[in-house]
Amino acid sequence: MMSIFIETTVDKFTFKVATDRAYTPEGLWVSATGNQVRVGLTDYLQQRSGDVAFVEVKPEGTAVAAGDELATLETIKVNTSLVSPVSGRVAQVNPALEDTPELINSDPYGEGWLAVISVADWAADQARLLTAEQYFKQMKQQAEEDTKKP
Amino acid sequence: MSEPTQCVLIVPCSGIGKPFGTVSREAAYEVVEDLRPNQTHLVALSRLVMGDVEARTAVATCPAITLDGCKLACATKMVRECGGSVMRGFAVLDVYRRHRDLKPHGIARLNDGGLKLAHALATEVTAVVDSLVAPSCPAEIKGNSHV
Repeated sequence: MMSIFIETTVDKFTFKVATDRAYTPEGLWVSATGNQVRVGLTDYLQQRSGDVAFVEVKPEGTAVAAGDELATLETIKVNTSLVSPVSGRVAQVNPALEDTPELINSDPYGEGWLAVISVADWAADQARLLTAEQYFKQMKQQAEEDTKKP
Repeated sequence: MSEPTQCVLIVPCSGIGKPFGTVSREAAYEVVEDLRPNQTHLVALSRLVMGDVEARTAVATCPAITLDGCKLACATKMVRECGGSVMRGFAVLDVYRRHRDLKPHGIARLNDGGLKLAHALATEVTAVVDSLVAPSCPAEIKGNSHV
């Protein structure tokens, strides 16, 4: 199904937010199907992080609690730890990222997803997450603040 | 001493303040000044951007190898915009993915990993230069290693 996006342009950058999923304040998206959620980086986070050189996601079968490290990201600018937005077990790691981690940059809401996690209590996890509109507002404010930095 | 068999232009990223851009320029200097001084010439991307006639003429005359510091690929885009032929475009990030132990740091002065990464890139560029060599180099380019 095609996602619908809301977007904003700050300075010379345009940032998109897909409306069909939930978000963490740190910039991960979460899309639920039954008791499994797919997780990835938002457009804003990938643009802010820069071109991805390497990404390492916890292997399949790993138990993660919300807030635990789910993946590490190395870009041309930064090394970042990405924390899990939910509690559960890693069910699948995107195999395409091993050879083409740049998918995170080119298609953050699609082919560049990080992992699928089997969740124990999606309702409890969802309650801690932001809606697309909430995240959009926060992201826009952060992007505008970024442009003011020297 | 034999004549250079063809001039190949090396056009690196002009990004200042970015380690990957610096790697591209260090690699370009190594190719043009040390590894293949008789077959290659450096073109400053900024001169293409500024519309410098000499630089644009060189790009329109000789095949180019571009070295881009990020996915914006300014060097590759600019050469094409000037009517040039990009025989091979290198992205520093791709080379770094093959040499993960050589993480570049520093801007004005690269760290050891960055310098080694630049050397790895220069080695790859040199192999492409060698595959491109052909009969002659236009007279107006000869004897001027930096355009």
